[in-house]
Amino acid sequence: MLTAERIIVASSLVWAAALLTWQLLAAWGGGRKDYSARAGSSARGVLYNFTAAMSPARKEAARRHPFKFAVGMVMHLGVVVAVLKVVVLLIKPTAPPIAPIPLGGFLAFAAAATSFLFVRRFFSKNLRPISDFDDYFAAFAVAVYLGIGSLHELNVINAGTFLLVGAVVAFYIPLGKLRHVLFCPVARFDLGRRLGYRGTFPAGRAE
Amino acid sequence: MVIKKETIDLLRPEDDPQEATAAARAALREPLRDLAAYHMDACVKCGLCGETCHVYLTDPVPENLPAAKAAKVVRHFRRYHSAVGRLAPWLVGAKELTQSAFDEIVEAVYGRCTGCGRCGLNCSVGADVGAIIRTGRNVVAAAAEVPPNLQAVVDNQINTGNQMAITVEELKATAAWLSEDLQLETGDEDVRIHVDEPGKRVFYLVNPREVKFFPLSLSAAAGVFRAAGENWTMSSKFYDVTNYGLYSGDDPAAARITKQVMDEAARLEAEEVVLSECGHGFRSFRWEGPNWLGEEYPIRVRSILEVMLEYIEEGRIEIDPGKNVERVTLHDPCNLVRWGGVSEPQRKILAAVASDFVEMTPNREQNFCCGGGGGMLSMSEYGDRRVQSGAVKADQIRATGAKIIATPCHNCADQLLELNKKYSLGVEIQAVCELVFNALVIR
Ligand code: SF4
Ligand code: SF4
Repeated sequence: MLTAERIIVASSLVWAAALLTWQLLAAWGGGRKDYSARAGSSARGVLYNFTAAMSPARKEAARRHPFKFAVGMVMHLGVVVAVLKVVVLLIKPTAPPIAPIPLGGFLAFAAAATSFLFVRRFFSKNLRPISDFDDYFAAFAVAVYLGIGSLHELNVINAGTFLLVGAVVAFYIPLGKLRHVLFCPVARFDLGRRLGYRGTFPAGRAE
Repeated sequence: MVIKKETIDLLRPEDDPQEATAAARAALREPLRDLAAYHMDACVKCGLCGETCHVYLTDPVPENLPAAKAAKVVRHFRRYHSAVGRLAPWLVGAKELTQSAFDEIVEAVYGRCTGCGRCGLNCSVGADVGAIIRTGRNVVAAAAEVPPNLQAVVDNQINTGNQMAITVEELKATAAWLSEDLQLETGDEDVRIHVDEPGKRVFYLVNPREVKFFPLSLSAAAGVFRAAGENWTMSSKFYDVTNYGLYSGDDPAAARITKQVMDEAARLEAEEVVLSECGHGFRSFRWEGPNWLGEEYPIRVRSILEVMLEYIEEGRIEIDPGKNVERVTLHDPCNLVRWGGVSEPQRKILAAVASDFVEMTPNREQNFCCGGGGGMLSMSEYGDRRVQSGAVKADQIRATGAKIIATPCHNCADQLLELNKKYSLGVEIQAVCELVFNALVIR
């Protein structure tokens, strides 16, 4: 039975990867030559935007909202853990849970963090007007996925259920908000590249 | 959007509503290639960017959230450029771009945003909201729905060569009396404003505001050029350093304005274009211009800040910081610093010419917009909001205890003059070259 679930998960991952790649290439559109005379280094700009610029010291959105930022970080770390679990199960279907108490506990914590973000979206005066079905569904799907991952790690449910929920989430990735998994790093790369070219990045002494 | 030079005249928007909407839809796609398209799908609507925006800080309503302004553009992009947006628009909030959508877009991208880009630098995921806002302006411009007062400035630039429609005669007369005043002030009979002199090394562009209302900075630049032994000239027709096509989002118009100036530089056989202190003018001519034209410039383009620093470092001008004893602070124009990459020359100059130079906090690429950017100063319908949003800058200025605000931008200077009155700051606003001129040791 687990073989069928593995095939479904693998297919949904291939689907997600293929569609994301296609979307990225469509957005890139062959790129553009920059005709302006370079003043700085795009490579250094990209490096800066993926390192120092990501620290709360340089990112006011994180600095001013440490709690919400931390909640977001927990959710994303939880997703990384859950994806790693899927990878392990794809390679070795009979693999036992990795570290039931710490990982199961952390995934439950991450599921709670994601649920908080889901509920907050309903009640925040700022977020409600800009939220669409997709925003709610994405948070809901990830919360469920992390919760199921936690239950699997704690040996409450079997690997097949965990894999099937993972497949649904992976199928949805390229269709809605979850595609930010690709577009965020690419956007960060793009801004770093452009501002590096102009000499704005790397920035050092702004505060 | 890359505009081929030969198509510039063909790309003005039509008045027909259906054609206008079709042009807007096309514009939604075109500027996105390789730039904003990535950012369109990057914002996760976490809502953490509110306080990074001076408009939101001074009026914290949901509409002023940077992500909310971006969403007004993104929803139309999704409708045409994502499979889900086409098949199930309700799922991702995708919306048809119709004539009735323009009012909302205009309000978001012109009325509530200066396109300063500060939110993007501080976004939790790195989405460049400024690029999305500019795409929104491209869309509006393609549909010929730009706020009329802003459009009027663009039209002035295209029809008369400068944003204030100053005539050639008026420019020449101003240059003549300014030259006389300068000669009296410096005792140097040879110092003057050079106009229409071919074969000079530098072709100098100024903000028409300098010619019309605030000639001190033009005199100061002339004095500094003279002290450095620079070989320079202006043009009587195409001397405008501004480019309101950047603000309006009308790239074809921006290309045309760029082209008329670069053609004039070629006619005058200049070796270098030097830009007077202007934030968006620097971004336009230095960075966006070659891309609007779709070709590299044949000559170098620099800010006068870079040139003046070179004079100081090479010892071509002698200065005495003791001549500027009041405390000076610096306002960083967003388009010069964040989008232009020029942050250090002005600091090195001020540290050299003023005896008490202090920084604002935050500064450089993290500076707050003064509130007058993005063409706000020309859109009187948003005047109250503009002055209100400047409260952030006013607080920054007050905290420095400075008596003089140096700002390398005449647009910012206009806003700062208004903030000075409204918030009783009791400061003086000066261009950097005025402080350099004041510190000159003339032997
Ligand atoms: S622009 Fe950035 S900080 Fe603002 S809501 Fe979007 S992702 Fe969050
Ligand atoms: S670009 Fe500037 S004015 Fe516009 S939303 Fe961002 S911070 Fe606010």
